[in-house]
Amino acid sequence: MCDHKNIYLPQLATIEAIIDETPDIRTFRLVFQDEAVRDTFSFRAGQFAEYSAFGAGESTFCIASAPTRAGSIECCFRAVGRVTEALRQLEVGDTVGVRGPYGNSFPIEEFFGKNLVFVAGGIALPPLRTLIWQCLDWREKFGEITIVYGARTEADLVYKRELEEWEQRSDVLLVKTVDPGGNGSTWDGKVGFVPNVLEEAAPAAANSIALVCGPPIMIKFTLPVLERLGFADEAIYTTLENRMKCGIGKCGRCNVGNVYVCKDGPVFTAAQVKAMPQEF
Amino acid sequence: MKTITEQNLRALVDALISDGKRVVGPRVAGTMTLYEPLTGGAELALGELPRRSAKETFLPLCETILTYEQGKEAVHLGDVDPVRLPETVLIGARPCDVAAAPVLDAVFSWDYRDEFFLERRRKTTIIGLACTGGDDACFCTAMGLSPADSTGSDLFLTPLKGGSFRCDAITDKGTALLAAHAGLFADGTGEPLPLAEPALGALDLEKIRAWLDGHFEDPLWEEIAARCAGCGACAFLCPACHCFDIVDEGGTAKGARRKSWDACGFGKFTNHASGHNPRDVQPQRYRNRIMHKFKYYVDKFDQRLCTGCGRCIRACPVGIDIAAVLEEINDK
Ligand SMILES: Cc1cc2nc3c(=O)[nH]c(=O)nc-3n(C[C@H](O)[C@H](O)[C@H](O)COP(=O)(O)OP(=O)(O)OC[C@H]3O[C@@H](n4cnc5c(N)ncnc54)[C@H](O)[C@@H]3O)c2cc1C
Ligand code: SF4
Ligand code: SF4
Ligand code: FES
Repeated sequence: MCDHKNIYLPQLATIEAIIDETPDIRTFRLVFQDEAVRDTFSFRAGQFAEYSAFGAGESTFCIASAPTRAGSIECCFRAVGRVTEALRQLEVGDTVGVRGPYGNSFPIEEFFGKNLVFVAGGIALPPLRTLIWQCLDWREKFGEITIVYGARTEADLVYKRELEEWEQRSDVLLVKTVDPGGNGSTWDGKVGFVPNVLEEAAPAAANSIALVCGPPIMIKFTLPVLERLGFADEAIYTTLENRMKCGIGKCGRCNVGNVYVCKDGPVFTAAQVKAMPQEF
Repeated sequence: MKTITEQNLRALVDALISDGKRVVGPRVAGTMTLYEPLTGGAELALGELPRRSAKETFLPLCETILTYEQGKEAVHLGDVDPVRLPETVLIGARPCDVAAAPVLDAVFSWDYRDEFFLERRRKTTIIGLACTGGDDACFCTAMGLSPADSTGSDLFLTPLKGGSFRCDAITDKGTALLAAHAGLFADGTGEPLPLAEPALGALDLEKIRAWLDGHFEDPLWEEIAARCAGCGACAFLCPACHCFDIVDEGGTAKGARRKSWDACGFGKFTNHASGHNPRDVQPQRYRNRIMHKFKYYVDKFDQRLCTGCGRCIRACPVGIDIAAVLEEINDK
């Protein structure tokens, strides 16, 4: 789609399935209407797209499905404002616009042969879920896979069915947690904040990569824990989620210093994030 | 050397219009002069620096990038092909306006090509005009330009004593325009009128950039920008500011998606959906304005987003003076 003269023109996609993850978070499975696009669309884990609800506008979400699973793409969004509310009004069979994929991605080839530690909070599982599934599809290329995932309450966990699947696999260690007070009577996971639970799980840092996504506050408390566990800043990856409009380095909205998050990111190592002006 | 009389310059506008071209030039609009599409050569008003910049010729305040029509069954998108844009001549544009156009080429052609801007640029022939009437807000010379700078112009006019203009073809486009209307130009010479004399002396732009590099945190930002109203006037009037928003206008059933000017001085510019705002107070936003113009854009494209036109100084409701800010940094 990049060779088109109008770089702002989205592709049309049909909502093939809707999954309610939580009361305000929803997953769309999308199939491109143009057959050629359906066959050729490709992306890398970590990239994002601009999704439109015509009449409301565009919104930025990561592509949450795995690049290894062709045919459709998925996004998972929380309804928080104008565009996301309009998207939420849509039904199976309705049309959305998709512009992308944009941005950089997780350098998965560099992770071959290593242990992976995924750390996610709340709605921030989608940008890691794309990579998690890709890694599970290529399972033999990686060492141990640990996933630490938490949300405020049990109800706020996304991809509950997949959490169950990961829990049952012998080649994945899933540690799920909810904030104190967020657990119901049947909760069988941990109770505690993600950084504390991560510290307790104490994944080995040797030959390991940590992938962290979550609200800024969670990231802020998780990085020192990873440091104590022995992870170097270069071995920690995260994503920045600055406000975006164009997604392609034109509109001047997403910069952190002279870094354009839409072009240079959204994936950065902790070392890169620490080198930026603290304005994100 | 070619010259053209003022009368023939107006005739040139008429000829271009009758050729089917869109001609944009300074024109008296109410109490001010603005760059606007002209309906005839008589409207050309070269005396005053237009209040708004000429960037609208390439980057309209608001432009449609697609249309949509949405029924129960399907969505139909109407593509807006940038190629349909009309051939345009921008005439009588000041060097401080013209010099911004090639600077903006960098961001709009970087990686993804924004043909809305680039096609307008390609289709526009710029007739620049040496500046003989500056005021005390002008500082093009401090930005490394001059009132006679032809950077970005295809054809360049220099006012001569007696009312005619010397014409220099700068690019092939300019040569072609000269050739196409050869009858309106004459061979000749003349004495140029004195140029405007911007008050601010030279600035050490490399030093300013180096200072910005090391002073992301500095009391200066608070001192200057605590009073900034975040009105965005400076960005909207600036020939080099290019930030934009993308919005859908119309209803759910039918409407247009449009690109429209935006400004990093606006409070919600970087607001996240979570409520978190990376630049949540005005000094941070003003800092971004200065950093973007004199550091980030230089780092990325080796050009500055300021030509010293002084418009932001004249318009700022609270008297923030970008030239004074640069001078202060320069003197540190
Ligand atoms: C790279 C990247 C990846 C992302 N991935 C995801 C993802 O996978 N899933 C996801 O859910 N999100 C993701 N986001 C965040 C997502 O882009 C935003 O949540 C979304 O764009 C919000 O759009 P909106 O139009 O619904 O909100 P807006 O309507 O713009 O509203 C944003 C917030 O401002 C408030 N607001 C709106 N108007 C006003 C007003 N006039 N006055 C005061 N407050 C107001 C709203 O209440 C809301 O809280 C990502 C962002 C980036 C940059
Ligand atoms: S920053 Fe101010 S002086 Fe510089 S080009 Fe823009 S409006 Fe003119
Ligand atoms: S014109 Fe002045 S008050 Fe308005 S945003 Fe610019 S600096 Fe701030
Ligand atoms: S989102 Fe427009 S420049 Fe990054």
